[in-house]
Amino acid sequence: MGDDRGRGARHLPGRAVAYAVCGAVLLSGCASMPDRGDLRDVESTPRQDTGVRVFAMPPAEDAEPSEIMQGFLEALTSDDPEYDTARKYLTADAARTWRPERSATVLANGPSVVPDHQPAGQEAADTLTYVLAGTRVATVDAQQAYAPADGSYRNRVHLAKDAKSGQWRIDALPQGVVMGKSDFQRNYTSVGKYYFASGTTVRTTGQPVAVADPVFVRSKVDPMTQVVRSLLAGPTSWLEPVVRSSFPTGTALRKGVSELAPDDQNRLTVPLNAKVSRIGPARCTEMATQLLFTLRNLTPTLESVELQAPGGHRLCDLREEAAESAAWHASAQHPENLYFLDGKHRLVRLPAAGTGTGAVPVPGPLGRGERSLRSVAVSRDERTVAGIGADATNLYVSSLEPDGRLEDPVLSSQGVTPDDRLTTPSWDAGGDLWVADRDPRDPRLYVLERGAGKPVRVTVPELPGHIRDVRVAADGARIALVVEKDGKQSLLIGRVARDQGSGDGPAVVELRSAAPDLEQITAMSWAGDSRLVAVGLEQGGVHQMRYVQVDGSALHGPAPAALSGVLSIAASEDERAPLVAYSEDDGVVRLPSGAQWQKVDKDGTAPVYPG
Amino acid sequence: MSGDSAATAPGRSGARPQRPVGRAAGSRWGRLFEGGLLQGGVQGSPVLRLVMRWVRRPLLPVMRLWRRNIQLRVVATTLLMSLGVVLLLGFVVIGQVRNGLLDAKVNASQSQATGGFAVARQKADEAAGGTGTAPVSGDDTETTDGRQSQNVIQWMSDLVESLSSGGAGAFDVVTLPVGDDSGGGRSPRGSGNVNPSSSVPADLRDRVNSSTTAAQSYTRIVYSNAKESQPGLVIGKQVNDPNGHPYELYYLFPLTQEEKSLSLVKGTLATAGLFVVVLLGAIAWLVVRQVVTPVRMAAGVAERLSAGRLQERMKVTGEDDIARLGEAFNKMAQNLQVKIQQMEDLSRMQRRFVSDVSHELRTPLTTVRMAADVIHEAREDFDPVTSRSAELLADQLDRFESLLADLLEISRFDAGAAALEAEPIDLREVVRRVVGGAEPLAERKGTRIRVTGDQQPVVAEADARRVERVLRNLVVNAVEHGEGRDVVVRLAAAGGAVAVAVRDYGVGLKPGEATRVFSRFWRADPARARTTGGTGLGLSIALEDARLHGGWLQAWGEPGGGSQFRLTLPRTADEPLRGSPIPLEPKDSRRNRGLDDAGLARGSQEKRATVPVQPGGGQVPPLPARASGLAAATPAVDPSALPGNGNGARVVPRPAAGARRPGDRSGPPQAADTDTGRPDRAGSEDATEPGEAFRGR
Repeated sequence: MGDDRGRGARHLPGRAVAYAVCGAVLLSGCASMPDRGDLRDVESTPRQDTGVRVFAMPPAEDAEPSEIMQGFLEALTSDDPEYDTARKYLTADAARTWRPERSATVLANGPSVVPDHQPAGQEAADTLTYVLAGTRVATVDAQQAYAPADGSYRNRVHLAKDAKSGQWRIDALPQGVVMGKSDFQRNYTSVGKYYFASGTTVRTTGQPVAVADPVFVRSKVDPMTQVVRSLLAGPTSWLEPVVRSSFPTGTALRKGVSELAPDDQNRLTVPLNAKVSRIGPARCTEMATQLLFTLRNLTPTLESVELQAPGGHRLCDLREEAAESAAWHASAQHPENLYFLDGKHRLVRLPAAGTGTGAVPVPGPLGRGERSLRSVAVSRDERTVAGIGADATNLYVSSLEPDGRLEDPVLSSQGVTPDDRLTTPSWDAGGDLWVADRDPRDPRLYVLERGAGKPVRVTVPELPGHIRDVRVAADGARIALVVEKDGKQSLLIGRVARDQGSGDGPAVVELRSAAPDLEQITAMSWAGDSRLVAVGLEQGGVHQMRYVQVDGSALHGPAPAALSGVLSIAASEDERAPLVAYSEDDGVVRLPSGAQWQKVDKDGTAPVYPG
Repeated sequence: MSGDSAATAPGRSGARPQRPVGRAAGSRWGRLFEGGLLQGGVQGSPVLRLVMRWVRRPLLPVMRLWRRNIQLRVVATTLLMSLGVVLLLGFVVIGQVRNGLLDAKVNASQSQATGGFAVARQKADEAAGGTGTAPVSGDDTETTDGRQSQNVIQWMSDLVESLSSGGAGAFDVVTLPVGDDSGGGRSPRGSGNVNPSSSVPADLRDRVNSSTTAAQSYTRIVYSNAKESQPGLVIGKQVNDPNGHPYELYYLFPLTQEEKSLSLVKGTLATAGLFVVVLLGAIAWLVVRQVVTPVRMAAGVAERLSAGRLQERMKVTGEDDIARLGEAFNKMAQNLQVKIQQMEDLSRMQRRFVSDVSHELRTPLTTVRMAADVIHEAREDFDPVTSRSAELLADQLDRFESLLADLLEISRFDAGAAALEAEPIDLREVVRRVVGGAEPLAERKGTRIRVTGDQQPVVAEADARRVERVLRNLVVNAVEHGEGRDVVVRLAAAGGAVAVAVRDYGVGLKPGEATRVFSRFWRADPARARTTGGTGLGLSIALEDARLHGGWLQAWGEPGGGSQFRLTLPRTADEPLRGSPIPLEPKDSRRNRGLDDAGLARGSQEKRATVPVQPGGGQVPPLPARASGLAAATPAVDPSALPGNGNGARVVPRPAAGARRPGDRSGPPQAADTDTGRPDRAGSEDATEPGEAFRGR
């Protein structure tokens, strides 16, 4: 004991100093903010929803007719799932017959309520008529397909005073709902339903090709269930002739199912009705693929879906990776290379994902610059390339093999000037090559099956003018055309009707406008399953680059940064690939995400991604 | 406290009821007695008391520790007080922080909201101004009340969206129609999933409705999705829409950040407070230990000193207050030791002096005796006066001899030289011998000696000579003071004890005399006639004999009611006594018979009827004194009369005297004298009257 104490006393000063130093270090560490260390992942928190909600209120006692109208119109913009509150403004008969889901009319500035001018004395004291008026922007039909519209909207709403209760109620009104443009944008969201192209399969693998069919669903009212119901109900009528759904006719969600939501492992279980009970596994996989592609459009974090037959037994389940191999899906393809023509008229390529500018010539004759070209198109499997000669007269098709030869032109144009000759060609996933001849005397649209053989003329029955540019969608079921009429170029989307043995040959039918407010389209390219990027002139505006939706609806999200003098533009369906443009002043430039336009090659022209 | 037996240690004599060995009766009383003692003042039903007992039982050790441990008390008090201080401080600090946070938040929110109201008014003006120039483009909606028809549904949704887009997460915007919820066909709007109608308090709406200035209130913001509601500040104002219709615009600022800051402060304070309290407790423990440890040491040393180990000393280090205490203590102990040593030496010297004197007197006495015998033989030849003198000389020589013998015996006891030669004996034999020896005296006195309880052998391990001496003393005393009435000798054996009680019905003992009869040279009323000479040491020797056996010798008496002396011996020599087979107070005492000293009826009629006077009988009923509980009538053992080791005599004073003594060691000095043995005083008193023997041998 005494010995211990003695030893402790001897060591005391040193030990005390050591402790004091340790304590001081610890304290100073605690008392200041850390400037290094603690490396870890940041978990993404979901963005807070700041959207405005309208809370529908039932009509007040003894409300004035104008208040009834106001309250009803407000209730239409609310998140009431079945419009139950809105129905309280209607008489019982009207509530029974009113079908809000029949249509949605989008007016530029919302509906104005104006009392209808009736000759005096014609109207009794207990009825009243209002007129809803406005400028139509678009309509959404019963299939939830969006269609741009114009003209004025004018509909009568008739109010009557209930004899017994003495309350004003609406007893006659148009079907569907009506609201202003910004309310529509707040309440509805666009979702692509996926079906399979009936005429196209991937040439190399035989995979079915998925086609997006955009619809609008109410974004705050159980959108997932709405989308699933809409998908099961089948494609919209415009797309219906060229696609097939793998769901048997009559397939629906099991009765009483609502509020579908993925579980905590991002897995969604979809219970179906008895129509699917005899489905084979291959068909089931296709069905699940459709569901997964569609729902990932709405919920990008979804990882797998499971189909459930009646009785709760599992039909099949599908993970995202498996879905990508089950069907070909343009926005899931990652282009490896960006192609363009360099200053020596050689076809060169550049890794699409990189940031470098060191382009290398492709193997084969075009990479050697054997012929000077005006524009090119590389097939989606990046084995074949189609080129238009420098004078736009001839279309050449060449292999990208090193020992390939440059064949004779497969198509020639008789146009007078280069601008009246062949357009830039375009490939679809099935390997068909599309090109248009702009000769004003004999304008034609051709398709070359498998990129070879005799060009087949494609009829365009409803063509309102001359085709100035053509880009076929990756799925081969839709085609984007720039049509010039009266000096204005507009962007139209047509459906590709394949020759189904009728002998009529292929046709592009039911053209509809994808960018009704853009004129003077100078360049365009597909930039997604149902999205294009277009350079054009807005009415009374300046040239601008913009994303447009194939159904003509406006898109949220920012437009690409402005660039002047764009002559052609290349985008990939894969959103990660940077946008590439050919500008008069700067040559080939590209726009990596989150950055400004960067120069790739000052002397380059005609940039393209495969397709 | 009832003095029939006292088996337990003297210090705890009051804690337990005592009852005669071999009797089961009275256990009910005992239970009540025990309950009453333990419960103290608790009133109420027995169930309640049982519950109280059950609750208190596990707490008793804790309370005991609390009472005994000053360190625990100090630490606990420190903990409590520091906890109080920390709590108070915490409340003050949290209140300050809360007010500061709220002030800052309210200021920022007010400026934000004021800006928002201005924007809303400006937008309404713009829209109202725009109606004329750009009505609903191209439509023929311009009517007389075109402003009425201006579409505000979309305008208001846009307004809420644009106002709320400025502060995603920082605030939310809500519009409500003026008046009740369904006023004017307007619907409430809210950004960020806020539920408008339940988030805005009704009194704020009333205020905003009734005035045009902005108002604010605290509220709980309720969300329409699964998000948890949270406290918030809401600022509202009445604004006009493009049509000139008023609506209520509210800014809701969640106080989430402030709540987080406050809970951070709370957590910090709680942690710091906990540390402070614990550390203060530890510090108090350490500090108190520095003081308490020497005090405990001193207490231990003092205990050992009081136990007789006078050489114990405190260890003193340093020069502080504790050290001074230790030094003073040690000095005191030193002085005490010296004094006690001196007194012991003195006492030993005196005892030896007495013993030596006795021895030294013996030799001349023998010579005197022989001479006196010669004179006595020849007294016939003397004249009557001389002859009477010779007789007197012989008598007084006898007395002198026995006095010397007794003195020698006592000094042997005092010197610790008395040895016990114990062997199993039948006490009946001893009693018979004693009674036989006392018969002549009894006949002379006209007294009959009865022996009861001698049907069975009463065997005990004892020294027959000493027991016979004790009993002879008691019987002769009884005959002497029996005034011709019967003397009853009772024998009994039960449990581990045997007892012999000698009862007489003479003058008895006055109050307080029962303790004094065993004093050396103690004399009763000197005026009383004495026919036999006593030395005044007989009962003292008898007491020492009983004590040597590990037994008790106790006396009881009442004036005019006679007395009883009881000898209780353990059945085996080394066994401690736990009780006596015979109650000390005989059942035919006046009190037991229900008569007080004046012969008046004391008890009830039933008692007199149920307790008949029965002089004989082996079965002893329970003491009626018990029936009166702990009343003052219960005879009390005076422990001051007991020897230190508890094995000695028990002396019971007359209970009716009212002079019940407190049960502590600081008894009356005259009682202490009987025990510590102050032969000088008693001897000096009585030596002047050698002929005044009272209850001598």
